[in-house]
Amino acid sequence: MFTSLNAANAYNAARNAVAPGEPTAAVQKISTAAEDFAQQMAQVDAASTGAMTGKVETHQLVQTIAEAELAMETVVAIRDKVVEAYQEILRMPI
Amino acid sequence: MTDPVSPLRLSASGMRAQSQRLRHTAENIANTDTPGYRRKLVTFEEAIRFGRPSGEVEASRVRLDRRELPRIYDPSHPMADAEGYYLGSNVDLVIEIADSREAGRSYEANLKMFEQTRQMGASLLELLRR
Repeated sequence: MFTSLNAANAYNAARNAVAPGEPTAAVQKISTAAEDFAQQMAQVDAASTGAMTGKVETHQLVQTIAEAELAMETVVAIRDKVVEAYQEILRMPI
Repeated sequence: MTDPVSPLRLSASGMRAQSQRLRHTAENIANTDTPGYRRKLVTFEEAIRFGRPSGEVEASRVRLDRRELPRIYDPSHPMADAEGYYLGSNVDLVIEIADSREAGRSYEANLKMFEQTRQMGASLLELLRR
């Protein structure tokens, strides 16, 4: 028979089972990549500001934006894949 | 693995160098009638980054054309000497126009490479997105 106490105990057990561990090497790599990406976006900001104030050449601006666009598309593609994988797990029959 | 972004950098350096060349050509054409003006020349060289050749191109420092300046006869000119001659510029318009065309074409070639690189990157990511 299911009681609320049973359910609470089961929940408690399950919560311990999925407690987050130390960040693995893979997770650290992802966070480094995210930092690189943020840095690239900051570069675009700097280049755009510089181009508007005449400090940066248009060529430099175009190059920076094209590089950032490529990086952005990569990040979006990877994120989509990760979300898709997560949804796949959610749909899994238990 | 080759960095998919480096061709972008190389083509951008080419475009920068060519536009610098075009700029000096424009200066030469603008100064065709300036007395005593010497034609400006730029040559290209591979850029060194962190002590190694990087594959990028760079316009070198501006050099002046050493050719003799033509003597033009015009006694009414304020810079004319006792015999009525003054020194003109050694700009040849035909050469300058040809040079500017060449710079434009090279620029276009670099632009195409830039576009190509972007397209390749985009289609590579398309594989992941499907």
